[in-house]
Amino acid sequence: MCGIVGFLDKTQNINAPVGKTVLTMLTALGVRGPDSAGVALYRPPENGAFTLQVKLGELEGAAERGTSIAEGVKAFGFVHEVKTTAEYLRLVIDLQVQKDPVIGGEVTSLTQFIESLDEDIEVVSMGRELEIVKQVGTPQNLDATHNVSTFRGTHGLGHTRLSTESRVDLSHSQPFWAHNYPDLAIVHNGHITNYHKLRCIYEQRGVRFYTENDSEVIGVYLADQLSQGLRFKEALDASLTDLDGSFSYLAATADYIGFAKDPFAFKPLLFTETDDFVAVATEEIAIRAAFGEGYEVREAQAKDVSVWQR
Amino acid sequence: MAEIICDGKTTRDINTEIKHLIAGGETDICMKNPVARHNLGVAILQSVKLTFDGSVGYYCAGMVDGPTVEIKGSAGWGLAESMMGGTVTVEGNAGNGAAASIRGGTVVVRSDAASRLGVSMKGGLIIVGGNCGYMAGFMAQRGTIIVCGDTGEAFADSMYEAVCFVGGNIAELGNDAVIEKPTEEDITFLESTLSQHLPSKVGNSQTILRNFKKVVSGRKLWNFDKDERAVWREAL
Repeated sequence: MCGIVGFLDKTQNINAPVGKTVLTMLTALGVRGPDSAGVALYRPPENGAFTLQVKLGELEGAAERGTSIAEGVKAFGFVHEVKTTAEYLRLVIDLQVQKDPVIGGEVTSLTQFIESLDEDIEVVSMGRELEIVKQVGTPQNLDATHNVSTFRGTHGLGHTRLSTESRVDLSHSQPFWAHNYPDLAIVHNGHITNYHKLRCIYEQRGVRFYTENDSEVIGVYLADQLSQGLRFKEALDASLTDLDGSFSYLAATADYIGFAKDPFAFKPLLFTETDDFVAVATEEIAIRAAFGEGYEVREAQAKDVSVWQR
Repeated sequence: MAEIICDGKTTRDINTEIKHLIAGGETDICMKNPVARHNLGVAILQSVKLTFDGSVGYYCAGMVDGPTVEIKGSAGWGLAESMMGGTVTVEGNAGNGAAASIRGGTVVVRSDAASRLGVSMKGGLIIVGGNCGYMAGFMAQRGTIIVCGDTGEAFADSMYEAVCFVGGNIAELGNDAVIEKPTEEDITFLESTLSQHLPSKVGNSQTILRNFKKVVSGRKLWNFDKDERAVWREAL
């Protein structure tokens, strides 16, 4: 049992209170997943630079690792900002990419360089618009550490986790960045039963998996579909036949947010849409907490895929 | 009429308060600001009126026998699950498994119901003003489902003696579900039932009433017959 939420401001406002809205919804779902919480938030870049959130690891020596990353990444481009918050290092860096978006190339080289410095290091998110922060604990704790509620932007995802099969730690919590695919993030409630099969196929192609969490494969899958030229909606549609098991998941890129629900409607997911915004959540309680009673809320149907462009 | 302001209260506080009010002789209770809390108004066994002045979460009015429950907003999963008697009405939409395994009473969803409406019902009446989702009426044993709009796939799958009426399109019939011509008695029943519970939907229009499709069990799955192995293979 997990809680997932998504929010998109449809008014072209790039300073919408996305952090506060996502956090309010997530807090209302806190009891669904008391072990970890995380958000993936989007805002247009100030200067076209890439923002990275890097996990420095829970072991000693995080500060040293942060310093060596900050030094090393200068070779990749001009570094605008380096900041350490709790176990994260936040980097804003100019990165010249040949093809965009792309798996491989400079994004992969930068990730590989950073992660080669220590096995505990993980690039949690990278993108021109995306930032992910997640940690063990409640949504309130996440806000206390990262000031999520002050974040302003265009759209975002949130996740509150009750682990059923894999470890409880930062890396295993959600949202998942689709590693190497800039700005693509997912949150998932459910269980992907053909995870091992899909993982095996992707590993044979050289994709690295960072966790034992089955949800991670959704991001890998969507990145693969998008890289092959599918549109965002087409990729989500295709997932209904390629993923097995129970799932309601939300995915987002810099331009889109969308959800897909499995063919048996095993997992809850509700949404409300107005001219101004779209809100999606596992339970209505989250939508009511953030927006009050004045909106019609409906449960997504089996096999529903909905996508909104910002 | 008594009022319970739900702000700052837990589900347990609210349900305890409802029971205390009923024990004190109150017959008309309104819950203000339920903001989609779960498990509200469950196991009420008296003929009282409960009004929820907003949306409710999962399992509202579950296992009740007797009350008249009105929900002004929408309802989450498992609305009125396993109810024995009474009437539950939702102004908005209902989540998955609305009126699942009810044995009696009436559940009215004025807008849309999601998946698994009325699965395994053993009696009672379900009326949906709008559309319903996937697998409504699965293994329903007795009782009636009326859907004024369209249904999702696997409609009325593997039913026993329940009867369904559909005003709109059926996306796909479930295993062993067959469409039958409604009798004059059926039309009279639809007319009286809908004019009572959803007067705005059909009114007295005979054209609309006569367009309802009746769906019943084809009875092929009731007893195993090895000559019909193909039917079973498909169903399972």
